[in-house]
Amino acid sequence: MSTPVGRSVGESWRALRVPLLVTGFIVLAAIVVLIATSARTSGQFSPDSTESTGARALAALLEDHNVDVHGTESLNDAVQAGGGSALLIGPGGSLDDGDWRRIAQAQWSHVILIRPGRRALEALAPGVQPTGTSLASRSRQPGCELPAAVKAGTVTVNGPTYSAPEGATTCYGDGVNNTVVRLEVGDRLVDVIGTPGSFMNTRLAEDGNAALALNLLGTHRDLTWYLPQWESDYPDSSGEGSAQLIPPDVRYIAWALAFAVLVVAIWRGRRLGPVVAEQLPVIVHAAETTEGRARLYRRSRARDRAASALRESALGQLQEAHGIPRRADPSAVVATVAARTGRDPAMLYELLYGLPPLTDAALMSLSQELDVLTQEVRHP
Amino acid sequence: MVLTGRAGILAAAGVVFVALVMPSWAGVGVVVAAVLVVCLVDILLAGSPRRLQFSREGDNAVRLGEQAMVNLLITNPGRRVRGLLRDAWPPSAGVLDPPHKLDLPSGERRRLTTHLLPTRRGDRHAFRVTVRSIGPLGFAGRQGSHQVAWTVRALPPFKSRKHLPSRLARLRELDGRTALLVRGQGTEFDSLRDYVPGDDVRSIDWRATARRGNVVLRTWRPERDRQVVIVIDSGRLSAGRVGDAPRLDHAMDAALLLAALATRAGDRVSLLACDSAVRADVRRPAPEDVLPSFVNALANVEAELVQTDFRIVVSQVLERLRQRSLVVLLTGLDPAVIEESLLPVIGPLLRRHVVLLASVADPRLTELEAARGDLLDVYGAASAARTRLDRDRLTATLTRAGATVVDEPPDHIAPALADTYLALKKAGRL
Repeated sequence: MSTPVGRSVGESWRALRVPLLVTGFIVLAAIVVLIATSARTSGQFSPDSTESTGARALAALLEDHNVDVHGTESLNDAVQAGGGSALLIGPGGSLDDGDWRRIAQAQWSHVILIRPGRRALEALAPGVQPTGTSLASRSRQPGCELPAAVKAGTVTVNGPTYSAPEGATTCYGDGVNNTVVRLEVGDRLVDVIGTPGSFMNTRLAEDGNAALALNLLGTHRDLTWYLPQWESDYPDSSGEGSAQLIPPDVRYIAWALAFAVLVVAIWRGRRLGPVVAEQLPVIVHAAETTEGRARLYRRSRARDRAASALRESALGQLQEAHGIPRRADPSAVVATVAARTGRDPAMLYELLYGLPPLTDAALMSLSQELDVLTQEVRHP
Repeated sequence: MVLTGRAGILAAAGVVFVALVMPSWAGVGVVVAAVLVVCLVDILLAGSPRRLQFSREGDNAVRLGEQAMVNLLITNPGRRVRGLLRDAWPPSAGVLDPPHKLDLPSGERRRLTTHLLPTRRGDRHAFRVTVRSIGPLGFAGRQGSHQVAWTVRALPPFKSRKHLPSRLARLRELDGRTALLVRGQGTEFDSLRDYVPGDDVRSIDWRATARRGNVVLRTWRPERDRQVVIVIDSGRLSAGRVGDAPRLDHAMDAALLLAALATRAGDRVSLLACDSAVRADVRRPAPEDVLPSFVNALANVEAELVQTDFRIVVSQVLERLRQRSLVVLLTGLDPAVIEESLLPVIGPLLRRHVVLLASVADPRLTELEAARGDLLDVYGAASAARTRLDRDRLTATLTRAGATVVDEPPDHIAPALADTYLALKKAGRL
């Protein structure tokens, strides 16, 4: 008599286990692939990146020349200097003035700034200013006495240029707009390099690019390769934001509340069986076509058609009431009706057989006069 | 799986617990674990809705507008089932009861009654029986559905039944069961009887008078055992709503009254519902079976939005009728359709039979024609007048062709059709 609908627990498990297994396998595989590839694709000028804008080739070259490259994205590593080592600061990121000052206060003996912004220059290379012009990509002579540059010879250069203060060495430029600027700040050597493109994986092999990079970066046995990130982290001031203003207990209460809301949602949301669908018949009102025709008459201002319908209808009633034959000619009808109602035959003729009304107002008055006439017939 | 309000309250109490007693991750964990464990235990202890066994008994058919009762018998071979039961039907079956409360101990059987008040003609199939079984703790439970087949047929209401007694009285008058039997009350010879003063002298049978020696009178009665075929057009002309029901429903009502009346008058009634195909076909049922068989055949006929093929109507009717009969065609008087598709093919029908064409008029048109107010009303009146004039012209054409036309609003169509039938019978046209 009755058959259960839907699956039992065992049936649903049997039906679902294969899809679940496949889904789990796919998710697992995706995670494994992501972990395996993530180290090599960590952005522009990264020492681990093998993409065209990465600098894996340069890092490998430095390793070959006994330079210990230590890549990092953490500000903590950039502010804790090992004594007498070099720091490379990659392009990009958004550190604020405080962060740059803390880097400047650290004990780095050599800092290489790759395409630095204004804040970095203020903190680490006072006097050096971005000029706002960029050099088009082509090979250039050093044009300076910096040994590293002289040994490297021509280098493919493109990118922003910098102006240098008195006493700084400027290379690959015209003395005002320079791509490489070396200056000494205290006992620290600071290199400002505006052309990261020359040292990326694609260009490193051209001209003397690799030689220049080795000469500039290979000065120390340890090189900390720091890539500034978009969010500066505050290792000792994480509580200064709005999160600090909320008591810590509220978070747990919020989670408990969210769970309660979920339970209530399941309680209220479960229906007692599905909604029953049903095919319903179409509802068409029989008078729809007539009403539609009325709107059409109005839109096209079909006063002539409307008037003729009204007149025909009134005539029919008059003929019936006065016993006039259906096919009587107009003059006979008018004469009979005029005799019975005492109206002027000329006006009656105009009313029943006249020209179509020219205005809506005329149509309205025509319909009213016809009404009066037929009313008289019905209740003389 | 279902949760109840208690589970919600427990979770809400958990918020208070976390806030006041254990504001930590451990507190949140305790609350979640407590709710989950309680609900899981409850679900495991709840009786299984899947193991319940159902059967039905009760009404199979109900007149539209009346209540049907369908009983549901539930047997529980498993653990006690406590909770709610919903006997789901389509909306137009008109289930009157809210979900039933169910408390069914192990091994017992219960009977629940579902009351239906169908809102539409036709078969209504039971959808599902859904049982929500709540565990002994009242926090959570299980839910499952069963398919328990049952069909309730909502029959045409036959509202015009109230007109039947008065028409039967008129019929008895005609039939000669009243005192006077004279010529003009029918054309079929009944019997001879003695003349009593006051009888119509024109009815005296002179030959019999000469044989018997005293004055003898012929009596007449209306014809009996004639064929009446009621054809209901279920095409798009019948789909339009007049008042609160489609033309088709009004036509059915009129057809049922006519069928009841004609059966009492001794005629044999057949029924045909037809659009582009035959939808219902009842051929000469036994007199006591006329109404039930008609009502059953018409229960599932719905107006189709197609043009009725009157060639099928004509060929079907001609095929089943030998002697001269009455053909009642219930359709809509749409000039374009009738002139195009009915008039060209109705010739053979008109030559051999008496054709009565009945249509439900729309009172809305009369309203429209009488409305006077703004400009749109005047145009509406003109449009309605044009529709009426076209219908009048069509009626005149049909009448000229030899058909009898009945065009009345919904509440008058059934008695008007019955009266026309009586008039035809009285005039001996059958």
